Amino acid sequence: MNKACQLAAVALLAAGCAAPEIKKAPAVSGDLVEEGRKLIAAASEKDKILWRYRVALVAMKAGRFTDARQLLDECLPTIGAILTADERTIKARSLFGNEAQKIYVGEPYEQAMAYFYRGLIYWMDGEPDNARACFKSAQLIDGDAKDKAFASDFALLDYLDGFATAKLLGDGSDMLRRARASAVSSKTNALTALPDYDRQANVLAFFQFGFGPLKHGGGRYGERLQYHVGHSAVHSVGLKIGEQTLHVSALDDLSFQATTRGGRLMDDILADKGALKKPLDAIATVAPVAGAVLAGPKETRGTALPIIGAGVVAGAVSNAAEAMADTRTWNNLPQHLAFTAFRLPPGSHTAAMEFFDRDGKPLPKLMRSLTFEVRVGRDTVLFISDQ
Amino acid sequence: MIRNIHFTITGAVLLAAFGVGCGTTGMNPHGANVTEMRPDERGFVAGTGIESQDLVAVADKMARSILATTQIANAQGKPNIVLEPVVNETRFPINKEIFLTRIRVALNTKAGGKVTFLARDRMDALEKERDLKQTGKVTGGVANAPVEFKGADFILTGKLQSISTRSNNGSSDYVLYTFQLLDPRTSAILWEDFAEIKKQGQSDAVYR
Repeated sequence: MNKACQLAAVALLAAGCAAPEIKKAPAVSGDLVEEGRKLIAAASEKDKILWRYRVALVAMKAGRFTDARQLLDECLPTIGAILTADERTIKARSLFGNEAQKIYVGEPYEQAMAYFYRGLIYWMDGEPDNARACFKSAQLIDGDAKDKAFASDFALLDYLDGFATAKLLGDGSDMLRRARASAVSSKTNALTALPDYDRQANVLAFFQFGFGPLKHGGGRYGERLQYHVGHSAVHSVGLKIGEQTLHVSALDDLSFQATTRGGRLMDDILADKGALKKPLDAIATVAPVAGAVLAGPKETRGTALPIIGAGVVAGAVSNAAEAMADTRTWNNLPQHLAFTAFRLPPGSHTAAMEFFDRDGKPLPKLMRSLTFEVRVGRDTVLFISDQ
Repeated sequence: MIRNIHFTITGAVLLAAFGVGCGTTGMNPHGANVTEMRPDERGFVAGTGIESQDLVAVADKMARSILATTQIANAQGKPNIVLEPVVNETRFPINKEIFLTRIRVALNTKAGGKVTFLARDRMDALEKERDLKQTGKVTGGVANAPVEFKGADFILTGKLQSISTRSNNGSSDYVLYTFQLLDPRTSAILWEDFAEIKKQGQSDAVYR
């Protein structure tokens, strides 16, 4: 072996032995909301609303409602706007564009939940009429389901709309009727879950249980927006506050809401893209084989290369074509929503909470207590999540 | 002949592929410029909800209408008006004071001192200042001075209501703005006027 070879071998060995560069893990504060804010800042413009939704809910679970309010207020103007065509949407619609290139605003059930949470915070802030406005908007967003039986069918949103109206000395009975009808259609015991309004109730408890639906792309090219249905071990909760005992059952099911919207207009566009990819894939598969066969006999050899070329190009075009549905998901939503309202005198109170499964069996690991202050002059709003 | 067709197909596909490769993303890396607009102008970020141009148009209409009422136009002295937050029955969360603030400013500007607005929303600060004066902690007060806070001759308030629809064909919102001048002594409605705005729009297909 000459010297040059020896040097090269040593260099290769040294390169092989070089210790990998160790990158320090970024410093994390342990404050989930602050870390979430960093993720929002780092997210591309098209994904910022998705991250704001997620972090807003993290903030709510942590009882940081000022943060949640601010984050949701940054989302609502966009999801409430008429979203017209821009470069992103044109690209998302084009054969070579991905649907996920559009600005994320979420599917109707996700948008409705953003309004629902904002409404809850408005009520907490002593503005039940603005809370009602949010519940109305949330319900309206759910209104464009293909099958009208599933349009605007969140039982809780109608119930809260009517309850806010009743609290503001209006007549909420129509909304109560609508809410009960929606609850019955979703197989909930409407009269138990949605009692008559008590205008004197000054404590409003909002519950959420489990893990909500997740999107995935179905079909050959992922062009069909489909859902992994969410799940929840918890189906009801018992509250004991002093001598008062309440049992609150799950009401709305977000997987049901997500999966009953029906087809989107965008689904047709994605289906068209998928339909275009299919023959291109067929050409890409068949053409090289045909080309190889034709390359044998002398008289057909001339046509072989163009056919192989066409196959390669068809494959390249098919690969470049994007038919995948947008599967970005607000992935920390719950599976079930529940609500109750009751009376308590002003002052400090502690509620002992016990969660139950579908069969009514207690889930002792989830037991907890909550201490809260009932104020004079405005409703006390509690937000309780089992997760 | 067959060979020509093959070359034509291959050429077309290659050209298409080349075109794809040369395609730009179409994104503006510099973002959008900030555009200053008049508040009564419809912006390019638009919805079917209550927007600044509606606030300006409705508040100006109401201010003109109030000034034309006989109770204000022919009032002896300067009537005192208290503003009560509007009732929002629409599907749009709003700052409830902004309509009345805009009407008050328009009235103050146009009425040339014909009416006095009472700052009831500042009662906490006003009472604190009065107490400081009456206890001699600051100048300008006399102990046990009679109440000087004025009572209202009129209460100005309003209500926002809406009818909203949404389908695959878009959203439509009709908002009715009604404002009233009330006599707090008799509960009589002395003046009432309304404005109505309907908007509809449809988002791009990728959002439907």
